[in-house]
Amino acid sequence: MAAGEQYNYDIVRKFSIMALVWGVLGMTAGVYIAAELAFPFMNFDIPELTFGRLRPVHTTLVIFGFGGSALFATSYYIVQRTCQTRLSSASLANFTFWGWQSVIVLGVISYVLGYSQGREYAEFSWPLDLLITVVWVAYLVIYVQTIRHRSQPHIYVANWFFMAFILATAILHVFNNLAVPVGLFSLSSYSAFSGVQDAMTQWWYGHNAVGFFLTAAFLGMMYYFVPKQAGRPVYSYRLSIIHFWALVFLYMWAGAHHLHWTALPDWTSTLAATFSILLLLPSWGGMINGIMTLSGAWDKLRSDPVMMFLITALSFYGMSTFEGPLMALKSVNALSHYTDWTIGHVHSGALGWVAMVSFGSMYHLIPRLYDTEMYSKKLMYVHFWLASIGIVLYITAMWVAGIGQGLMLRGFDEYGNLAYSFIETVIFLKQPYIWRTIGGAFFLAGMLVMVYNVFATIRQAKKETAILDAKIAAKLANA
Amino acid sequence: MSENKKTGHAVQTTGHAWDGDIQEYNNPIPRWWLWSFYATVVFSIIYWVLYPAWPIGHSYTTGVLNNITYTVNGEEKTTHWNTRARLVRDMQTGEDAVKQRRHMQEVANASFSAILSDPKMIDFSSKIGKVLFTDNCAACHGMGGQGVVGLFPSLVDDDWLWGGRTENIRETIASGRIGFMPAFGKTFSDQQMDDVVEYVLSLSNQAEDQPRVQRGKQLFGGEQGGCYYCHNQEGTGIQSQGAANLTDQIWTIVDVAGQKDIEGKRALVREVVSKGVNRSMPNWKGRLSDEEIKLLTVYVYNLSGGK
Repeated sequence: MAAGEQYNYDIVRKFSIMALVWGVLGMTAGVYIAAELAFPFMNFDIPELTFGRLRPVHTTLVIFGFGGSALFATSYYIVQRTCQTRLSSASLANFTFWGWQSVIVLGVISYVLGYSQGREYAEFSWPLDLLITVVWVAYLVIYVQTIRHRSQPHIYVANWFFMAFILATAILHVFNNLAVPVGLFSLSSYSAFSGVQDAMTQWWYGHNAVGFFLTAAFLGMMYYFVPKQAGRPVYSYRLSIIHFWALVFLYMWAGAHHLHWTALPDWTSTLAATFSILLLLPSWGGMINGIMTLSGAWDKLRSDPVMMFLITALSFYGMSTFEGPLMALKSVNALSHYTDWTIGHVHSGALGWVAMVSFGSMYHLIPRLYDTEMYSKKLMYVHFWLASIGIVLYITAMWVAGIGQGLMLRGFDEYGNLAYSFIETVIFLKQPYIWRTIGGAFFLAGMLVMVYNVFATIRQAKKETAILDAKIAAKLANA
Repeated sequence: MSENKKTGHAVQTTGHAWDGDIQEYNNPIPRWWLWSFYATVVFSIIYWVLYPAWPIGHSYTTGVLNNITYTVNGEEKTTHWNTRARLVRDMQTGEDAVKQRRHMQEVANASFSAILSDPKMIDFSSKIGKVLFTDNCAACHGMGGQGVVGLFPSLVDDDWLWGGRTENIRETIASGRIGFMPAFGKTFSDQQMDDVVEYVLSLSNQAEDQPRVQRGKQLFGGEQGGCYYCHNQEGTGIQSQGAANLTDQIWTIVDVAGQKDIEGKRALVREVVSKGVNRSMPNWKGRLSDEEIKLLTVYVYNLSGGK
């Protein structure tokens, strides 16, 4: 029996295609708002086009549209293949597909029209929050049921990470969005929390969205595609257990480091800073396990673009999980907070880790879903280099912008005066903002190359199937 | 199977295989990883001992060896480390704060003429003034104080609506200003309006129709127009009223100087006379300290070359 019949590949294909669609749209929005910051005239005095409305469009499309769809696709693929069983319910899986895509479409439309809950990465209005909750419960049911029906005695490590991701995201989403609607027919609502508790709840959510949605889940992706593509066993089973539990336990404590030097109590701040430091090695556990899996097959880095994507992703993962704890220290945070250093840090994780590991996984996945080879290996290299150059430009520009502005804002002159006014720091930011836009454009260009390559691959697969069918038909006719 | 470098023995996998070929080695956790992790634990414990860290009931551990001393109403107070006390202490005894306060004190005790004759104090005012100006004033008057014609007066020319002496400028910043000229659109007939406009232009030698100028002069200086109440008979303006000097080439409400032909100039002046003027500048007393206003005064005074 072919894998395509044994497993439910239809749902994986649908989510994979949408990941690419949302990726292009989300990154386009990102490049546009980056350009708006460098050239404010691009707001054109049209409310729907202003930075404030397009920013959540960008983050929602890339995190939940691109990242979310990529996670649905790969997790549905991985759970089936590593449990050697078909996805528990095709109709429920289809419900998660249409439900999730509706959330993205409606969310983005509502932001452009000016409706937002005003919580970062949780801007959805309350009716959409309810829809997300239903979709997510369906996802959890499918996942648990599929694992329960596995034909394998053991649950593979990738599935631990996906389970942790699904559970934690459910908890985070529900608690951060507790709110009282203004009215039954109003999209506005009041948060159930107030003051510093509200801020705490938001950043408990915000940080763990990064921790479980953008880290744990993508580690699950990594744990399947890296050993599979390398054709080698995972480096250390023991390390995978230890770093999994350490990561899952420690992440939940660290969110308050987003609120250093605010109304937050000092003890909360200290705990968040230290737990961020404690997170460094557990985070690196995943990187070590991924990179060491390749040890002994380093030559693959020269000949296999998929491996290049995956290993580069792990390197950026290692770098940004080193930078993160550093920025979580109060003294460093005093410099970095409220500057573009934070934006640079997020993107070294989002572009370098999340997007790169997704690209690598997709390049492995797509040809298998369509039973063919990638249309062009050369274009995969082109994509790799465009993306890598884009990331480096982006991060470097934001380091310059963030550290530069941070130093200007705390600079004193010989009389003890603040040396710079705010507007002078804004003028300083213009150059790095232009470079950031160029970096983003490189990354987007790479994404477009990928979309073309995938499109050509699917077209080629259809052609191959048609030829094969014709041959079989001819043989049958002759027999 | 890979070789374990230390023992030379082959490392076994766990014996499970998923999806055909995915296996896991039973490699031990890298030593350096483990020791580094322990190091972060030690770091955290030290941090918890020194700073407020763990909640206990309604209180929390306060940390040791890190007390902060500061003054409240002349009384010295010592508390465990916390960000609020740290801010107060920094503002009271921090190096830069002390330095700035010393210079501020000098300024507070000095007269404007004393400040303006001391290069050190001028330098101080130009440095702090630049920041105060760009943070508070530049939104309207522009970063360099060049203003916007028709909206916000230029501060870099020699023309002052409310007076350019230091005391005038200080008063303007502290109390704000309301610039008002009544609308004369209904007072004058069309022909009278033409005459007044021509006369106003003649004050800065831009008129072209002498008969109109003569008639306009009667209206300007007579009881029907009454323009002289504020602009005085010579048209040089009265600064206590914020009334503009009409005899120079500087126009702050409309860009007369920028017009090429006489018709353009007439149209602009007519607009002002017909509709009047109503604009204001907010007051900054209370938002800025007296010393800051004093320093900003010196800064603005020097913007126009000190005239």
